[in-house]
Parts: sequence; structure tokens; C-alpha cells
Amino acid sequence: MAESGAMQSMSAELTMQAVPNGGIVSALGKRMFGGESFFVSRFTNTTSRTLRVTIAQDIPGDIVEMPLHHGEEVVLQRGAYLGHAGDVQLKAAWAGFISWFSGEGLVHLRARSESTGTVYFGAYGAIIKRRIEEELKVDDGHLVAYDPALTLKVSLSGGLFASVFGGEGFVTRVIGTGDVYIQTRSVRGLAAWLNPKFR
Amino acid sequence: MNVEILHRPANTAAKITLDPNEECTSEGGAMIAMSGDMRVATAVNRHTGSLGRTILTGVSRQIAREGYFLNTFTAGPSGGDLYLGTHLPGDMTMIELTGTTTLKVQSGAFVAHEQGVAMGIVWEGLKSMFSGERLIWLEMRGTGKVLINAFGMIYPIHVDGEYVVDTGNIAAYEATLDYSVTKAGGSWVSSFLGGEGLVARFSGRGTVWCQTHADRVFGSRLTPHLKPRKEK
Repeated sequence: MAESGAMQSMSAELTMQAVPNGGIVSALGKRMFGGESFFVSRFTNTTSRTLRVTIAQDIPGDIVEMPLHHGEEVVLQRGAYLGHAGDVQLKAAWAGFISWFSGEGLVHLRARSESTGTVYFGAYGAIIKRRIEEELKVDDGHLVAYDPALTLKVSLSGGLFASVFGGEGFVTRVIGTGDVYIQTRSVRGLAAWLNPKFR
Repeated sequence: MNVEILHRPANTAAKITLDPNEECTSEGGAMIAMSGDMRVATAVNRHTGSLGRTILTGVSRQIAREGYFLNTFTAGPSGGDLYLGTHLPGDMTMIELTGTTTLKVQSGAFVAHEQGVAMGIVWEGLKSMFSGERLIWLEMRGTGKVLINAFGMIYPIHVDGEYVVDTGNIAAYEATLDYSVTKAGGSWVSSFLGGEGLVARFSGRGTVWCQTHADRVFGSRLTPHLKPRKEK
């Protein structure tokens, strides 16, 4: 399964079907709030040979291949999902006003596997995987995915003065023990460089 | 302060590990992530005295495109770490100052420096203006690490004698070197027809860090292709 539009090339013998992203209601939710598309593409190999499909994201950056086993789960931020294989359920989950406040949307995706599956997600720039023991503060727009055992809170990066004038604004406090994936660039940062170039 | 440069050259970020209560100063907006107990203080300059001087420092840094304010990160009692990144694709490099040399950094290239380093702003004068480059450079003195970034990749050149660098591709250089702005080729005609125009001719002994691309040049290429927004 892959995000619609993610397919770059594939063996001609593969069958590709557009299916709603995990049921009509759930797909609608993902489309409206999660920044994901309503349809996803399902690639099926009906032959007896091994066939190949290549999927890629729209923006230049790393892709993480994450195996999920027996009840393991990962939370993906808006737009990060790329595809999955095997047994993976995707659920649009309420991310809370905190997430919306930091510009990440009201809904995020939870990918979960009851048996064995792989989920693929991407980012703009490189992805840094970081183990959190207590707390990590992540700048707006740099959080890609995280372990659902972690909780998120939004706070100012420093004091009021530091946050407004220091250029860091709001940060997301990621609290608990688990892995977090952060991207080294942000699309908003690129836009901030580009905007003054428009006359 | 330990610096680890990750994912070079296009998606570069720096992981900075600080000892308990150690400080690191960075340009505004560079922080990607940091330990939960890292303290952030924003100031124009932690070491200037009078208000007038403080404002002057901030304004000249603004002209130098480094922003009016700097952030100083202080680690908590058990130490901590900090990831720094930039907006544009590009490289970073770490330069260690030993107290004997001064480092000149192209304005816009500064990312962060260690506690023992002091940052000043210098006026390069007319040679800089004629070369179409920035008038203002940053000057790093003291002992400690300095982190710089560039749009494109950064590579060091060890100069002993003379070396020529295009004026738009200097990221930083040691002040043991001096440069003069001159023509690239044998004659002025061939310099301009060859598209190189003015170059910096370095002389002395020291290191110059070159950048493969300059964001200003890329931006000026890009601007003519951007369509103006319709007035509403």
C-alpha cells in the first residue's frame, strides 16, 4: 500500500487499485484533518514471480523503513506517511489542539501491526532517530514520528522574550521514554528563505 | 562542548553535546531539538556593557544577516545536547580556535560558537564593496569551537603562498591570510569574458574554507523566474 501519487515506477504485471485509506469514514477524517489523501494505492502481485514497485515522496529527504511486530505502534505527523507492507493498520487519531497549535494538524496517523508489517515514512532533509529518556524539546515543524508511549506538550522555547526574539518560537516537549524521529530541515524554513525573493 | 556533524553535505545538522552548565551560543532560529532541561537566554551580546553599544552591535549584526539576537543555551546539571540546523540545504563545518588566530567568517555563515569565543563585527571596507560581496564580516577570537554553515558544501584549502578564490565562495578564512580583490585571468578582458570577474587572491599561510555554492547567487538566479503576486 502506498500514499496516492507515491508510485514512481513498477513492473507492468503488478495490479494497482485505488482504495479508500482504511474505510470511507476513516479516509475522510485523514483527508480532512490529517493532511493525507483520501485514496491510497494498493499494489498486488498476482503472478508467481517477484515484481518490483518503487515509491518515493514529493520532497527531497530521507525515508525510514520501520518494521512493526505484534502490537507495536508508531505515530506519524501530518504528511509523513509514505506506504506500508504486510499487516499494518492505519488509524487517524485525534492529535489534540496542542498539535494543531504547533501547526501539525488536528489529526495524526497511528500505524499499528498485530502480526508483522513494515511502515515507510519520509521527511524533508535527513531524519535523526533519537532515543528519549526524559524529555526532548523539538522545534516546530521538525517532528516526523514518535513512539506512542511519549507524550507531547507545547511550550515556549525559553522565556517569553527568548521565544519571540530568539527566533525559536514554540517548541514541542516530547516527554517519556521512547524513540523520536526528527527532520534536519523544515519546509517552512525554506519558505521563509524564499518569500523575500518574491517581489 | 562536543560537536558531531551529521548527514553531510546536503541535509547537515550538528549535534552539540554540552557538559553540565556549559554554554553554547547560536544564531536565532537554528535549534531543531534540545534536551528538556536546556536553558535558553536571548540577548544581543552577553558581554557588551552600555546600551548604546548593545544596540549598535545588534544593528550591525542585523546588517550582517545574522539577526539582531543570539541564543545562549546552557545545559542542565547533568549535561545535555542540542541539534542545530539551517533553513537551506547545505553543509556545516567545525573550526577550532586555539587563541592565537582570528577567524573571519562570511556574514550569514555563522551557526554557533563555544563559550570561550568572542564574536565581533568588522567592516571590510571598499575592497569588499567592489567585489560585490558583503561589507561586513564576523570576526571570531578566543579559544574554542566555531560552527559555520554554507549553502553547498564546505571544503578547506590550506594556503601557503598564494591562492585564488571566487569572491562569492569564501565561507571563512584565518586572519593570518590577507587577500586582495583582483582580476581572475591574465587580463581584465579575459577575466570578465570568462565570467569570473573579480576574485580574492589570498596570500600568507593559513586556511580558507570555500563553499561550493552561494545562496545569494542562487537567490538572484531564482528571483527573475518568480512571478509577482497579483495585487488584491
